[in-house]
Amino acid sequence: MSIDVKMAWRNIWRNPRRTILTISAIAFASLLLVFMLSFQFGSYETMINSSVKIHTGHLQVQSAGYQDKKSIRLVVPDPDAIGKILDQIQSMEAYTFRAIAFSLVSSKKRTYGSIIIGIDPVKEAKVSTLKSLMRKGSYLAKDDTDHVLIGNLLAKNLKIDIRDEITILGQGRDGSIAATVVKVKGIYSSGIDDLDRNSIHMPLKYFQDVYGMFGAVHEVVVIGKSLKAVDGIKAILNTGIKKINPKLPLVVLDWKELTPGLLQSIELDLVSGIIFYFLLILVVAFSILNTFLMVIFERTREFGVLKAIGITPGRLTKLLLIESISMTIIGIAAGIIAGSLITLYFQGHGIDISGASDILVQYGISGRIYPRLSLLSAFIGPGIVFIITFLAALYPALKIRSLRPIEAMTYV
Amino acid sequence: MYKKLIIALCLPLFIVFASNTFSMAQDARTLVKAGFDYMRGKSSFSVVDMTIHRPNWERKMTIEAWTKGLKNSLFRIIAPAKDKDNGTLKKGREMWMYNPKINRVIKLPPSMMSQAWMGSDFSNNDLSKTDSLIDEYIHTITGAHTHDGKKVYLIKSIPKPDAPVVWGMQKLKIREDHVFLAQEFYDEDFKLVKVMTTLQIQMLGGKMFPKVWRMQKTETTDEYTELNYKKLSFKKNLKDSLFTISNLKNPRR
Repeated sequence: MSIDVKMAWRNIWRNPRRTILTISAIAFASLLLVFMLSFQFGSYETMINSSVKIHTGHLQVQSAGYQDKKSIRLVVPDPDAIGKILDQIQSMEAYTFRAIAFSLVSSKKRTYGSIIIGIDPVKEAKVSTLKSLMRKGSYLAKDDTDHVLIGNLLAKNLKIDIRDEITILGQGRDGSIAATVVKVKGIYSSGIDDLDRNSIHMPLKYFQDVYGMFGAVHEVVVIGKSLKAVDGIKAILNTGIKKINPKLPLVVLDWKELTPGLLQSIELDLVSGIIFYFLLILVVAFSILNTFLMVIFERTREFGVLKAIGITPGRLTKLLLIESISMTIIGIAAGIIAGSLITLYFQGHGIDISGASDILVQYGISGRIYPRLSLLSAFIGPGIVFIITFLAALYPALKIRSLRPIEAMTYV
Repeated sequence: MYKKLIIALCLPLFIVFASNTFSMAQDARTLVKAGFDYMRGKSSFSVVDMTIHRPNWERKMTIEAWTKGLKNSLFRIIAPAKDKDNGTLKKGREMWMYNPKINRVIKLPPSMMSQAWMGSDFSNNDLSKTDSLIDEYIHTITGAHTHDGKKVYLIKSIPKPDAPVVWGMQKLKIREDHVFLAQEFYDEDFKLVKVMTTLQIQMLGGKMFPKVWRMQKTETTDEYTELNYKKLSFKKNLKDSLFTISNLKNPRR
């Protein structure tokens, strides 16, 4: 160990109380940043995953233009061919087919417009949470035909209950009139108003008969094993679709394109988070700047003596910087370790947010959020703290270069 | 003395001017009303081919239609076979739809009135609110030109302040013999949304009548709905019992 480092180390511990205060300020800031960032990333993943699992899925294959127009004529004609591609993808968890039409829905008393969604009862249960959202009655069985599931708000508007009949009148794929009478088998409540007020699910096969779909669907909905897998699946699907039939105008859309609102609310949250972190780091920076400035005022005599016995200004600056950097490193290390431990604990146990805001409920998050510790969330915050404290220490360290020995030694 | 004379001279002049502007507005409304009366007659029966054209797809239906005055009408699809006997009844502002396969009558909710009728470019409103144009808009004649040797009036119709209508403005072209030549629909920002034009004006049902009507959305050139009158006859009177829900369900003719 060089003499400089030794001296710096002794200087640090000459005033243990001050040093410990400084270190713990740094440590606390790092800890907070590690935990908050992990929490934020974790909540995004929860948010995305629970949002896509209610309805949209991580990815969808649609006919080009369907996302905007929702025209019944824009179909995916041979969904099974896409299913075959998906079956071979390792990182794919589940997929399902859906067909969608807008129709008039009428009970004995009232009529409303609603979205009718044809679903494959078995496949749908693996992709979306629909099955677990049932509040009354039961989910569709594999061979059900003229049975439907209906959102609780729509059921309330139509004044119907399970086992009641409703009439559906709409337009088929070929422009002909699609009409049927169906029985309500179950009522679901997702907490998302749009879905509960405005949708009916019926078995896909029956939907295809009623609306003259000839085996076609509107959406192939895919869930990946994790959020990270989405881009990979998208790339494989894109090339796979071209191979089936290059003329078909099919597109693969990921969750960002399917629910732009979700991405926007994440971005908004991230921006407000960054502002908070910025303020936190600023506070830490000032407290460290303050500590280092105090050090100089307190030790002016000592620096004067050092200068008088011939220390070069460069060496003095180096000495002070070694002091500040080693304090920072100790603080950051402590912060990362403590922060990671706390994060890991909650990553295992989750944080109860059952009383959380309506915005989260809109995206289907209820119950617990699990922070997610990653290299990024563990090191980015403390890394910035390191840079800021270094800059804060630089000012006093450079200032003492211009110290005059005689004046400094007589300084009280 | 002179003063009195001037007033005596000016007053009639003023009355003439005032009544003139008054009758101008009145004229436009009369023109629209007369046009509607002419086109709809007291009662009518018609058979119409409806063609819905889309960029890579086309669909044709044949519809029988009965109308009585401006308020009541009944439409029934007679071809293609798959949709035969589907019907729509309109009485005043209310509309019902009937489907024979499920044997049910559905009353259209107000929220559905701006939706397309049977997938065409005509909305339910276009069918149910035709007569609202007469009373819920303020009409002004903005110009005139000649067409086939006949005078054509250009009429601008702005909805009255509290009128429950969907359009921000409509522009009409009515020929002096009451034949409608065009109807343009504008939204609240006065942007043209769709245009209905009539073609092939000829003798039909005993009067000059456009055989082909075309409703076209302005945002795309390749999407339109065309009505082609196969048969048209104007009747003195049709029975009120024709325009009932029970007749919508069981055609008695």
